[in-house]
Amino acid sequence: MAGATEGDLVTGGTSQTNAVAAGAVGLAVLLFALALAALFEAITISEPVAGVPVVTLLGLILMALGGAVITFGVGSYLGYVETEPSPSAGLVAATAFSTIWFVIGGLVASQTAGLGSLGSFLVASVVGGGTFALTALPREDIGSTLPAGALTLLTGIVFVTGTIGPSWVWALGFEQQASFTAEFVIPVLTLLCALISGWAAAKAYGGFGARGRHIGAYVLVYVNAGAIIGVLFVLIAFTTLRGVPGLLTGFEFGPGVGPEVGLFGVSVALPFSLPFVMNGAALLNDFQGVLPAIVGTVWLVIGAVVFAVPLGVGAAIFLTEYAERGRLTQAVEVATNGLWSTPSIVFGLFGFAFLVPRFGGNKSLISGMLTLGFMLLPLVLITSREAILAVPDEYRDASAALGVSKWQTIRSVVIPAALPGVVTGVILGVGRIAGETAPILLTMTGGTFVPGGQTVDVIGGFQFTGAPPFVANPELLQATTALPFQLYALITAGVGLGDTVANPADFQWATALILLVVVLSFYAIGIGARYYFRRRLQS
Amino acid sequence: MSETTETAERTETATDQPLETTSGETEEQVREEWREYVFDGRTKLAAEDLDVYYGDDYALKKVSIEIPEESVTALIGPSGCGKSTFLRCLNRMNDRIRSAEVDGSVRIDGQEIYQESVNLVELRKRVGMVFQSPNPFPKSIRENIAYGPEKHGDLQTGLLARLLDRSDEDEREQLVERCLRDAALWDEVQDRLDDNALGLSGGQQQRLCIARCLSVDPEVILMDEPASALDPIATSKIEDLIEELAEDYTVVIVTHNMQQAARISDQTAVFLTGGELVEYGDTDQVFEDPRSERVEDYITGKFG
Amino acid sequence: MARTSNEAGAGTGRLARRRRQLRDFVDETEPEALVTVGVMAVSLLAALAGFLAVSPLTIVPFVVFLGSAGYGWARHQGLTARVLTFSMMVSTILILLLITVFIFVESLPVIQYESVTVSGITVPGLRLFTQTQWDAVSPPVRYSMIPMIHGTVMVTLIATAIAAPLGIAAALFLSEIAPPVVREVIKPGVEILAGIPSIVYGFIGFTILSPWAADQFRTTGQGTYLFVGIVVGLMALPTVVSVAEDALSSVPESMKSGSLAMGTTDWQTMTSITLPAAFSGVSAAVLLGVGRAIGETMAATVMLRGVPQLTEPLYNVFYGQATLTSLIANNYGEADGLQMDALFVAGVILFITVLVISIGAQYIEWRMRRKFGGDV
Repeated sequence: MAGATEGDLVTGGTSQTNAVAAGAVGLAVLLFALALAALFEAITISEPVAGVPVVTLLGLILMALGGAVITFGVGSYLGYVETEPSPSAGLVAATAFSTIWFVIGGLVASQTAGLGSLGSFLVASVVGGGTFALTALPREDIGSTLPAGALTLLTGIVFVTGTIGPSWVWALGFEQQASFTAEFVIPVLTLLCALISGWAAAKAYGGFGARGRHIGAYVLVYVNAGAIIGVLFVLIAFTTLRGVPGLLTGFEFGPGVGPEVGLFGVSVALPFSLPFVMNGAALLNDFQGVLPAIVGTVWLVIGAVVFAVPLGVGAAIFLTEYAERGRLTQAVEVATNGLWSTPSIVFGLFGFAFLVPRFGGNKSLISGMLTLGFMLLPLVLITSREAILAVPDEYRDASAALGVSKWQTIRSVVIPAALPGVVTGVILGVGRIAGETAPILLTMTGGTFVPGGQTVDVIGGFQFTGAPPFVANPELLQATTALPFQLYALITAGVGLGDTVANPADFQWATALILLVVVLSFYAIGIGARYYFRRRLQS
Repeated sequence: MSETTETAERTETATDQPLETTSGETEEQVREEWREYVFDGRTKLAAEDLDVYYGDDYALKKVSIEIPEESVTALIGPSGCGKSTFLRCLNRMNDRIRSAEVDGSVRIDGQEIYQESVNLVELRKRVGMVFQSPNPFPKSIRENIAYGPEKHGDLQTGLLARLLDRSDEDEREQLVERCLRDAALWDEVQDRLDDNALGLSGGQQQRLCIARCLSVDPEVILMDEPASALDPIATSKIEDLIEELAEDYTVVIVTHNMQQAARISDQTAVFLTGGELVEYGDTDQVFEDPRSERVEDYITGKFG
Repeated sequence: MARTSNEAGAGTGRLARRRRQLRDFVDETEPEALVTVGVMAVSLLAALAGFLAVSPLTIVPFVVFLGSAGYGWARHQGLTARVLTFSMMVSTILILLLITVFIFVESLPVIQYESVTVSGITVPGLRLFTQTQWDAVSPPVRYSMIPMIHGTVMVTLIATAIAAPLGIAAALFLSEIAPPVVREVIKPGVEILAGIPSIVYGFIGFTILSPWAADQFRTTGQGTYLFVGIVVGLMALPTVVSVAEDALSSVPESMKSGSLAMGTTDWQTMTSITLPAAFSGVSAAVLLGVGRAIGETMAATVMLRGVPQLTEPLYNVFYGQATLTSLIANNYGEADGLQMDALFVAGVILFITVLVISIGAQYIEWRMRRKFGGDV
């Protein structure tokens, strides 16, 4: 074997050098946080912190980080630090670094030195090629630290010397004008340098080699996972914070302040009043609300479920229990999966072309219900099929061996066993369609502000008529509103809102919050149900 | 769930009463006796008071054993007795199972492997493993063999190495041939080294896995029922191979098949339900004249 | 009924067998049950025909169908259930066909209108893709899909550049790295990210991101492909994560153990064994993510400018005009006649693109299943 290394089973104490690398990782984390804060304008880059301008501060930290990374790499190369580097940093790192340096070389040549496009390209190629060689040719401890450290160091110097200062602007010279400003470039460059140097420092912490790469990669993967969860948290927290004031406008608590609720002929006044979800919109209202939209959403979901669930479950039963596996089942599978990825706006177009003319030619609640039903159908079919297929064949065989007919087996063995999966799938699917805007845009749109009197009452709306089709329900055939559409209408209505509600922004955010609450509660129930069924299955 | 509790109860009754052994000694005395078992050769692996739990369940209970180098040691016992768990403790593959907790000590050449700063890469290079069902990687036969040395940086064959003319392709070819020859597979596959390894037969796949294991020059080879998924002809080839390997390597093999253990091993350790090591000694002695009555029952087929 | 044979080319033989099966079925079943099933079938077909023909009398056969199904359920439950589930499956397929047919039919007039004669051959709809001007008001009225296709491509590229690497990394994290407790938190978290309605993303983008971006990049007015792409990428992320995670965890554990037992690190095992083995599944995940990004409507609609024009220059991501989806959502209100039909053309392009992507992804997954012997 070529150059077989006989390492030690127990790695020696390298705690001191590890501490240097760990310190560099810590610096990278600090920079990352500072850059995020600057990007979201929590700190302003033009203002000084503790007497030092923020840009200079960032530059100094960047220089320290770059210096530390380079020092560690060189120290390892010269043998002052005990590491196990590979012969080369590898192709991926070389490509990534040379791309970055290619861009830097090109930008400096064309913008700072003012060379033409050919000259810039030449300079960029030389810089990029040089970086590639510097990364790929020497041992890993040099190859993965020098380009990263140099980038960070250079950025730091550029910040500290004020080459890119708080008032720096680079107009791109496009026909539709756009510029890079310091407020954007400084945090983003800092973020990039923090990630790259953090990765290099983490690699150094692991002593390079296989272990170093492992740690370097894990740092990036953990940052990514954390960022996704962070974004989710920020989205929800932000919407909640901004939405609550509007939601609580006119909130009252006390006996009898709420609207009367009738149940079995007895009407009780609720002990609290939350006008935002209990009122419609009216000229004389103290507080405007979105009750018709909430009710509209509820009816939409009910209609879609009533339409799609029996159809989807029935089709799934036929496909898995009766039909033989063959071209037909395959075709249906391909088609349902295709339908499931079809953009929601295409369903809207279909509803507009097919359903609207068949229900009186106007946009109507029932068109919206059916359009959403069409959207829900493939999901119900896919999840039901999966759930039914997951029922072990032993169950069916055991039942059939007792002489039970096929349908009886399906009804008393297969369906109950598959029910948890079906229910969970349906709830998650409902969460999805409840938030859909595009399909109902073309099939069901009502107004931006709907009076409370127009809250749909489907059950009370049925009438019998003398002429065909003998049953009529004007409530179903008229357009109403729903939460997602209401939010869309509020966005497009823009400034015109001011006349109707006192604080349009609050009203919008509160609508977004209510929509989020409605949709996410479906998800919470669905995820909870899955968790519950799984736990019950395990115990 | 209920099954495990049942097993646990059974274990309790089995351990609470000191069973009478063939020669009228108590189990404790038997254990003392085989603890003084002396073998020829140097100790390669030594476990001392090794406990393993999965949650609340014991998988191994106070196992102490010394395994000599360059020989075949068979671990036998009924299913669920912990012999595979023990095997996986020897190269810390149990680390993969998060609920498993290991207590006690395992030493290789006198170096403790259950301590903070152990280099798992180095440990697993020294202690190779062959699994119950063949698990070649979905790559070519050549890539399967070269995988370990390439990942450990001992062979440079990547695109970059080729671009820089640093490629160790000749070394790789030599390595592939040597390992395949050592695993008695060379003659069958030398013409199709670029074929996907998943296209080989089960027995060939298992020998490929053994060859792959040899590629990093291990000192110990752990085998977890390596022939249980194979037909009799493939099995006998693997058995011959194991006996040959024992000339250079320390082989520890878990097997269900007592005849197999008797055929190929120099030492045999018997685990019984509850994760106890009940008897350990020369294979001939364990099979012909077991000290413990429970082992005799197990070997003659009355128990287990 | 739904029997398909694997023997190819036995068309007539199959027909004869089918006829024999049908005769056997008729012979074996009670006459009364047959009549019930017959009534159900005929009345359902009549109801469908009535619905398609926009007849107010549709209700009559539908009630007959309900009545016969109720009777059949009471008397011959097994048979009725079979027929009912069969008709449900047929309806599902029918709906798919209807969607395809209707959006195609509606788009025909404008395809006709924008025909171009190239060397004597009339190519329908060619001008939709050869010139870049969209002008629905002043003559000559021209409809072009180029600006919207450009917008969709820009948004999809940016979204994929975000969703693919981050999604694959997150999938690796979930299936290979995360301790169980963390996984229990992050998996539902990713699902919830998928659950946030697109209009909420759009709203936050419109009220927070768009003004911020306009300020940062000193653009004229609001709306940039860059930030729409980022938001859409975030929305496509959960699709990539969940499909890629399924693919990664379907790689047999024995393969991973085999690699780890050679002394490789977890990361080496992931990059050298798990990812290559799951490569097809992971690429299917990226494809499906791309499909989601292409079809995303509301965030694009509220965050873009809604002007059917190209950006200047073409790679100027700091301006965002319109995508295929936002074109439909922006213009359905005032559109009629040819302009409405042009929106249907956008719908057809979306439908076909996403369908091709979906079928491609399914084909890749099917090949992957074959590779691992069906135990996925």
